[in-house]
Amino acid sequence: MSQQTTHGDDAPLLDRIRENPQPAIRWAAVAAVLLALQVGAVFAAMMELPPWDTIAGYVLGVPLLGALEPAFSAVAGVGDRLADVPTLLSRELIPNRGHRVGNGPVFETTIAGFDLVYWQWDGTFLGLPAAVAWFVRVALVYLYAFVWMGWLWKGYLVFRENYRYADWTPADDVIDRMRTHRWGQFGFVVITLFVVMALFAPALGPTTFDENIDKPYSHELEYLDKETGEVETTLVGNANLQSKSRGSGNENIGVGSYDEYDRWHPFGTLINGKDLFTFIALGSRVSLFIGLVAIGISSVIAFGLAMVSAYYKGPVDLATVLLSDSIQAMPRLLVLIAAAVLLGETWIADIYNGGFLLALLFGSWGWPGLWRAVRGPSFQVVEREWVDAARSYGQTPRRIMQKHMAPYVVGYLLIYASMSLGGIIIATSALSFLGLGITQPTPEWGRAISMGQEYIATQSWHISIIPGLLIVIVVTGFNALGDGIRDAIDPQSDSGGASGESAAAGGGA
Amino acid sequence: MSRWSYFAKRLILSIPVILFGTSLTFIAIRMGPIDPVAAVYGDSGTAADMARMRESLGLNDPLWQQYLEFIWDMFRFDLGQSWVLQPGSRTTDLILSRAPRTVWMGFWAVLIPLFIGIPLGFYAGLNPNTVGDYTASFGGIVWRAMPNFWLAVILMIGLSNSESLLFGFDWKGFILHTPQVIGTNEFQSAWNGMQAGQLEPVQWAKATKQILPASVVLGSASMGNEMRIGRTAMLETKHSNYVEMAKAKGVSGRSLVWKHMFRNALIPLVPVITAEANLLLGGSVLIESVLSINGIGLLFFRALTQADLPVAGALMYVFILLLVFINIMQDLLYTIIDPRVGYENE
Repeated sequence: MSQQTTHGDDAPLLDRIRENPQPAIRWAAVAAVLLALQVGAVFAAMMELPPWDTIAGYVLGVPLLGALEPAFSAVAGVGDRLADVPTLLSRELIPNRGHRVGNGPVFETTIAGFDLVYWQWDGTFLGLPAAVAWFVRVALVYLYAFVWMGWLWKGYLVFRENYRYADWTPADDVIDRMRTHRWGQFGFVVITLFVVMALFAPALGPTTFDENIDKPYSHELEYLDKETGEVETTLVGNANLQSKSRGSGNENIGVGSYDEYDRWHPFGTLINGKDLFTFIALGSRVSLFIGLVAIGISSVIAFGLAMVSAYYKGPVDLATVLLSDSIQAMPRLLVLIAAAVLLGETWIADIYNGGFLLALLFGSWGWPGLWRAVRGPSFQVVEREWVDAARSYGQTPRRIMQKHMAPYVVGYLLIYASMSLGGIIIATSALSFLGLGITQPTPEWGRAISMGQEYIATQSWHISIIPGLLIVIVVTGFNALGDGIRDAIDPQSDSGGASGESAAAGGGA
Repeated sequence: MSRWSYFAKRLILSIPVILFGTSLTFIAIRMGPIDPVAAVYGDSGTAADMARMRESLGLNDPLWQQYLEFIWDMFRFDLGQSWVLQPGSRTTDLILSRAPRTVWMGFWAVLIPLFIGIPLGFYAGLNPNTVGDYTASFGGIVWRAMPNFWLAVILMIGLSNSESLLFGFDWKGFILHTPQVIGTNEFQSAWNGMQAGQLEPVQWAKATKQILPASVVLGSASMGNEMRIGRTAMLETKHSNYVEMAKAKGVSGRSLVWKHMFRNALIPLVPVITAEANLLLGGSVLIESVLSINGIGLLFFRALTQADLPVAGALMYVFILLLVFINIMQDLLYTIIDPRVGYENE
């Protein structure tokens, strides 16, 4: 009998793993190795990403909490030391900054009209040309990320084979449908590429934010002066001034080219000579941060309200309808513009150069759309007999909503959330195109588009065109993923309806 | 519930909606972090000037009185005056002088998607899983994913330099000569002419050609939406029982499509078309500031960035009214087109 109870449906996962630990340990060991390769970067991100200084400034400003300062700095010290643990995918291990070695190219040939010139390099990974070293690092980053994805998938399979009680659950069908949905998979791959770019932004760029964008006059670089054949030293800021892309004459560092200072620019340079790829990689971080935080906020509000209004109906529902109608009656983009201007001088706008403020605004203005998308399914599920049964068993409303309604509705939330993310990315870049929202020096794709708009018809077309194309690809990816999830969850459903469709458009941005 | 009592209910429910937006606007411009008077004068204003403006806006009254006055003014459509953009002129005049340009752009931005998006969507729905369907669907998705401001910049540059970029195709001289690629100056003279009682077809054609690129961009998202919804609506109608029935009775293909399917497939498109209002209002700010069209959107943007807060607040109120009105119209239209839509569910 005791055997029976440990095998009961409610035995927690940990007990089940204890019973048969082999597969789980094998899986976890590989996962640990994967994590160990990057553990330094994980801690570095934890130390860097949240605005600790700002937060500490506010927290320690409160009189009583000020006494905690030593504890804070101790924790910060440990964090900093852990952040220094060497990682596989770092600029230090695979450096791409260096300079050519003085005594001319190693060999020079012309193949099919292309001049192939190979120099010996100093300071780069294995003495390879900067472009190759950079490419190796990027390839390794993406390889690492995809190995992780594969390993997580493997983890799910291990769980399914060894630790799940049911041989079949509805989730299996959903996953099977997703596996044959090419369009959804396309979206998934695009989004993975985008998310990896955002996560690994500091390692992906050919140069760093600090050196190239934020404080170019506090950093030096070495380069080979081709006239004299000597290795010279100059300030990054001065080098940037000589590497501008401004369309006319020879003032252009285009896609995939070196500047005069032996620096490799995969996407060319901006009009102020800064590296466009670094700018874009860091900009993707901002976009993703805003999108995720905003969607998180509005999902919580929308989901909670949908549950409550579907369960209690009547006046609660009417009040929610009125509130969401009121919010939707104010055009979202205009409200955002107004709020960005009005709150631009306040302390909220200082956090993450305005990113946090934007995320809050998108979150608090985005929930009515999400709520409308899940309201229908919530009203359907509350009519089902199992909800009635749970009610007659005397379960509390809270528990009924959690256990018997939420799992049915959450998929619909995912569809709409995926489509809205694209809209938020467009709207964020639209605001920074207008000079609002994300302020300097934090990179944002819209600002690059705004910088380069005069040069579209010239040889410096890359400044505006590349960020724009990337937005199109990422937004298409989010929409495709949303389509895929929808078809996987509910193959009979029609398309997301008017609200879902216009969410993807970013409120006219 | 009859249609009219439903309509009355919608009207009553719209009052708190408008009140909410107006109150929020009041809070934002009167109690927000920016003081409207200091924002207007900055450091340069004399104390007397600032006191005059403070008095005229009623900022010396207690807050609740300011609030009631603000709401009452808005309700009477007394939108106040401008302080920075055109000091002294009434906000209503500012809006009315710019509105025709925005409306002209918006008119085409609604019309173009209707006549391109819906037919394309219906075509894709009638021929599902063909090359044509895939091309149209994929094109629609990508088209919709393009940021409006980026598309506007590209179209602007592309058309201005069309000779070098588009293999010698000269957009400026195409059919009609319009030296300014995108804008409203031709529209303005056509409009002035009409007000003087003359209808000049050539001038109107020029005005249309000048606004078309802007409207295509402004309507781009709607076009993608209409296409996708149109496609699914047509697909669903195609597989519905009454169409099968008509087919079995031997109704010819042409009459089947036009008489039985077309009108029913239009129903789900109504909310998409009216949902455009939100997109158009938001989009007009961007398009107008990118293409420097001096319309309401640009007025709103300038009022905000140049701290003419009374104008910005009044404009927000007008936008809210517009959106609420369009939403009510949509619901009414819906009940007329499709009697199956119940009033009780709302």
